[in-house]
Amino acid sequence: MSPLLGLIGRYGAERPGLLWLLPLALLPLLAAPRRRTPLPSLAAVPTDPLSRGLAALLGAAGCLAVAGLVVGIAGPYREGAEVKRTGIGAEISMLIDRSGSMNETFAGRQPSAEESKAAASRRILGEFVGSRAHDLFAVTGFSTAPMLVLPMTDRHDAVRAAIRAIDRPGLDYTNVGRGLAMALAQFGSGTGHASRVLLLVSDGAAVIDPRVQDSLRAAFAKMRPNLYWLFLRTKGSPGIADRPAGEDTPQAAPERHLDLFFRSLGVPYRAFEPEGPEAVSAAIRQIEGLERDPIPYIERRPRRDLTGAAYAAALLGLVILIVGKLAEADLRRPQAPAAAPAAERRIAA
Amino acid sequence: MSADIIYLPRWRARGPRAGAHRARDTGGLGTFKDQVSFLRLPDARRIDLRATLRDPFDGVHVRRFEARMAVEVWALVDLSASMRFRGAADRMTLVGALCQGLAASTTRIGDSFGLIACDAFIREELSLIATRRRASAAAAAARIAGARPAGRSAAGLLAAAARIAGQPKLVFLISDFRWPEPLMEQVFAALSFHDVVPVIVADSRETGDLPEWGLLELEDLEGAGTRLVLMRPSLRGRWLVQEGERMARLARLARRNGREPFRLADRFDPDALSRHLLGA
Repeated sequence: MSPLLGLIGRYGAERPGLLWLLPLALLPLLAAPRRRTPLPSLAAVPTDPLSRGLAALLGAAGCLAVAGLVVGIAGPYREGAEVKRTGIGAEISMLIDRSGSMNETFAGRQPSAEESKAAASRRILGEFVGSRAHDLFAVTGFSTAPMLVLPMTDRHDAVRAAIRAIDRPGLDYTNVGRGLAMALAQFGSGTGHASRVLLLVSDGAAVIDPRVQDSLRAAFAKMRPNLYWLFLRTKGSPGIADRPAGEDTPQAAPERHLDLFFRSLGVPYRAFEPEGPEAVSAAIRQIEGLERDPIPYIERRPRRDLTGAAYAAALLGLVILIVGKLAEADLRRPQAPAAAPAAERRIAA
Repeated sequence: MSADIIYLPRWRARGPRAGAHRARDTGGLGTFKDQVSFLRLPDARRIDLRATLRDPFDGVHVRRFEARMAVEVWALVDLSASMRFRGAADRMTLVGALCQGLAASTTRIGDSFGLIACDAFIREELSLIATRRRASAAAAAARIAGARPAGRSAAGLLAAAARIAGQPKLVFLISDFRWPEPLMEQVFAALSFHDVVPVIVADSRETGDLPEWGLLELEDLEGAGTRLVLMRPSLRGRWLVQEGERMARLARLARRNGREPFRLADRFDPDALSRHLLGA
């Protein structure tokens, strides 16, 4: 399709049937509602380019007025479109732990003066969102089951709202595997140019089923995101690197084994183990500094109503026509009564 | 009844009919013309004694007097559509008044009045062959006042000129002369044998009373379409200059045939026409 057809194709009308009336717009070229002054011969009128230009202008104004009214009544609009642009940023899929322990503070207590882990991550992630204009964010929560909070979007207000909601009281347990699968699914199947970031915010880990592990490996190999694990460690709980005292099984040290699983994926991976709100914000700044690649992003233009523009064009044409009408002169304007009848009477007398 | 139109033919009429105008022929009780010898005009009643006695060779002289002859007066009326113009006055009303004046004035002194109305062709139903009958002439003049001009050209005037060829006649060529230049030349050439009085039917509205400012959508009465004009003083000036040039050309052409054109504008004044015909 030619570019012109493509351009036309992006426009539409509520009542396209009315557009069949558009040929009426040619009527002003045939006749004008102006007072016609008969003159014995137009050859007597000197040629005047200004008048000819004015006639063309008035004709065009008439066409514009009729066309604007017809189009305005038909209800024109421009289709919403997705425009691909390039900016600096990344596709960031946030996977946020909503298990009950997130409501505790970093000291493992119920929040009182100290803010809870969820509230801290909410505050810091909220600052992270919107610091760069072209980042795309998706938010997924997970506890026992994953929750799709927000699909991949560049509407940072919505993202911030989603993040504000993560300090609601959390639920049961931690099921990382299915959460990861959904967070990966948040990356669209689009082009591979974008830098993709999977940001896992959790305060604990769980065993991932080996079968789920296989599908996760496949998904990671396909999406190839940069994986960041923000491990909000409660004071005193085992860290990522801590080997358990007893048997080294996933059940005994899920954090360590999740870390090992992430390392084995073959994607760029970093784990942060902040032990307080300041450490969390430092980790976030670090992530922000790392992800500075050009990203193609899609801007959605909403459908735009063009009725106003059509009526404005019609109004412009009508104003020109009215000015022309008001400027009309009358060659046959009534004059003082002619002296002819009186003279004839005098002669007769 | 309006005042008579008084006219003086520019030529000495000849012909069989006695009338009011000076003629080339002699006879009757007219103005003294000359003396000829008795042998040439053996009219004993008009022997000029004084001249006979003064003659050293004893010749007898006889006085001769100019005969008074009637002439034919023709009105050639252009009925092309531009004559439909109605400004300060209706053109055809003006033409009707002029023709009625002519008809009355001519028939009253024994001249005959003829009328030919033409657009592209001669309009026979409005025309009148020259007649001295007062009623017929007046009726024809009244008919022409009610005529509706619709023609696209005035080429029928050439045919009219051919029709009135022959003896010299006094011809009133009544038109607004919105003709192409060649037709103008041809018509004046075809009528050059006659005493032609061009009567320009004009209107103050189409020249002097044009507005200074404003939009005018002008429609050509002869079907040349419409044109939008933005009137302003400069354009009005150019318009008037152009009209003036046209009138000057027409006057030049008319003078070549002997007479200045008469401008019939807004109202018909028989005295003005008489002054024009007698003077100049």
